[in-house]
Amino acid sequence: MARLVEIVAGVMALAVVGLGPRANAQTQPTPSGNAAHGRELYLATGCFECHGRNGQGGAFNGPAPALAHTEMGFEAFKEQLRQPANDMPAYAAAVMSDQDVADVLAFVHALPGPRSPADIAIFKD
Amino acid sequence: MSTTRPAPDLARRNFLKGATLAGAATLASPTGVQAQLAHPNPRVTAMVRPDLVAETMPPSNDPVTQTSSGGDFMVDVLKTLNIDYCAINPASSFRGIQEAIINYGKNTKPELITCPHEEIAVSMAQGYAKMDGRPMAVLAHGTVGLQHAAMGLYNAFCDRVPVYLMIGNIVDAEKRMPGVEWAHSAIDPAALVRDFVKWDDQPASLQHFAESAVRAYKIATTPPMAPVLLSLDAELQENPIIDPESLHIPKLAQVALPQGDPSAVDEAARLLVGAQNPVILCDRVVRTPAGFDRIIELAETLQCAVIDLGGRMNFPSRHPLNQSFRRPAVIGQADLIFGIELNDYYGAVHGFSDRIIRHTSPMFRPNVRTISLGVRDLYTKSNYQEFQRYADVDLAIAGDGEATLPALIEAVKHRVDAGRAAAYEARGRALAAAQVAMVEAAKSEATIGWDASPITTARLCAELWAQIRHEDWSLVGNGIRMLWPQRLWDFDASYRWNGFSGGAGVGYNAPASAGAALANKKHGRLSVSIQGDGDMMFAPGTLWTAAHHHIPILYIMHNNRAYHQEYMYVQAMANRHARGINNAHIGTTLTDPNIDFATVAKGFGVYGQGPITDPNDLRPALERAIAVVKRGEPALVDVVTEPR
Repeated sequence: MARLVEIVAGVMALAVVGLGPRANAQTQPTPSGNAAHGRELYLATGCFECHGRNGQGGAFNGPAPALAHTEMGFEAFKEQLRQPANDMPAYAAAVMSDQDVADVLAFVHALPGPRSPADIAIFKD
Repeated sequence: MSTTRPAPDLARRNFLKGATLAGAATLASPTGVQAQLAHPNPRVTAMVRPDLVAETMPPSNDPVTQTSSGGDFMVDVLKTLNIDYCAINPASSFRGIQEAIINYGKNTKPELITCPHEEIAVSMAQGYAKMDGRPMAVLAHGTVGLQHAAMGLYNAFCDRVPVYLMIGNIVDAEKRMPGVEWAHSAIDPAALVRDFVKWDDQPASLQHFAESAVRAYKIATTPPMAPVLLSLDAELQENPIIDPESLHIPKLAQVALPQGDPSAVDEAARLLVGAQNPVILCDRVVRTPAGFDRIIELAETLQCAVIDLGGRMNFPSRHPLNQSFRRPAVIGQADLIFGIELNDYYGAVHGFSDRIIRHTSPMFRPNVRTISLGVRDLYTKSNYQEFQRYADVDLAIAGDGEATLPALIEAVKHRVDAGRAAAYEARGRALAAAQVAMVEAAKSEATIGWDASPITTARLCAELWAQIRHEDWSLVGNGIRMLWPQRLWDFDASYRWNGFSGGAGVGYNAPASAGAALANKKHGRLSVSIQGDGDMMFAPGTLWTAAHHHIPILYIMHNNRAYHQEYMYVQAMANRHARGINNAHIGTTLTDPNIDFATVAKGFGVYGQGPITDPNDLRPALERAIAVVKRGEPALVDVVTEPR
């Protein structure tokens, strides 16, 4: 029981911490990202393990969505990293700073998105 | 005391002849010589030297040939069960029946399949039974062989698949050779696996064997199906038959499969017909082509969504009503959920959060009605928790899903009038549109990273599909879950897919695929298995079995050079502590050195290609390998892939 209380308290604390950046988001300028550094981080911090090196998506406990050409903006992207909505591992600021987040986002924005299946012979029929 | 095994032509189980037997054994054995040398008569002692005794003694009553054996009778019994194959790793404790199978039985029905590990033997039998519809036999050493077999048995049990397992044992301690035979004998060998076999026995006589053999088959193949185990005493296998006229082989009666209660089935039909948005979830339903057609008929009658969880090949992947990849959305809109043969009803309709505090959340609306149909409620064991969380449904129908479907379809059709049919059509059109959109989205997503290396799993599956789509193909194993094949390929027959392991015991995919390919062989189907590298490393000897027995199968290595799911779990744990993932590879990756699976395959006599790292090399590699498989041999293409 003591452990449960501890865990609940910890999660609540995380939730409070999680609210902080959201509250400040309107006043903090969005960092501009460095896609080249973002690529290094994308590989080094294991994003590709679930989402693929090309941002094509994959799976962990459930589907890991494609990130190539994601429409997520910086705040939403950071929120998902800090407080994932699903089983995705959380990336705390100690592991990935806000600037790092911006760099990773710049990288996934720069990834080539899907091609037209009609351009690939296998998918033509 | 005699430590030798007694004379084979004497009926060792005939206690009336025991005295004669003991005397013969004493005369023939070195110990007997020693005993004679120790005779109190000094004149005899002086006359006899040990080596001279052996050469000059008069012929003993110790025959060295025999004209019948219990093993022969056991083969007669097995032949009545119509078992095509028996997978073995050879062992002394079943030498009697092995010799009887290959000589007396002419190595047909069953034909022995040599396996370099008992887990391979059992997993082959699991894959075979699902594809063929009939069980395959396995012979294993008692104790040590059974321990090797245990993991495969657990998978088969969790998967509710019949495996006809026989083991050798030497029951009579007096007859065991000193040393190893003691270590390989047990009072109750089945105790090791009794938690995950449906029934077991250790027959004490040949008549007992005959009845237990037929009983075992009947139990294993009556839903809920599961492995059975017979422990065969070596003496019983090897000794001559004392009274053949007294032996009788019971007939194997065709069991009428358990069907759901008619009134409950009618109530289910009433609820299904009246629902606005019913959804059918199916998991381990289809056993025959007829079952495949019945789910289609039910779904088309109702024009309702079907979610195939993939435990068997239940529903065509391109059918307009197939909504398998829209499960949360479809269940969230449903007012009636009808689960057929679900391994995990609760898990199928709940989301699970693997966070610091684990919790579940329902996908369904609060007022949804729920029905279950299946054999889960007919049979449960206690220790191993594979029975999952309690299925908290409104109507639970205990009965075999496939066997109950005809009555259910009839009841549904009886209730559907013209007005409902029109409404159903509109429902079906909306679902069809969603299905088309899902397929198009899958094709689009599959193009991301199309030319990248490592090769994406989507590219791998798309290239493979292009090569097999005009063949009579069968995906007998899949190490990348239900991702790209089920999204991109047209699974349109009951043998296109063979389900999962059941117990998620690693080491299933390679041998189970070979077993299914063995079942496909007589149909001339092109068997394909997408094979994880971690799984292959548990049972690489499967490749030798496939080569030795000319089992045509194409293994495509999904070689991500890791136990990748475990890598991701370690990553998740490290991220919880904000420690980074720099060390997550420790204990989870299969690198340094990289495994050259093509060379491994060649070493086992299997055609091997790779490692393929350039996606443009895939098509020609697949073409060459498929040509080998179509000639009746196994082939392996090692593809270095993205993690998922």
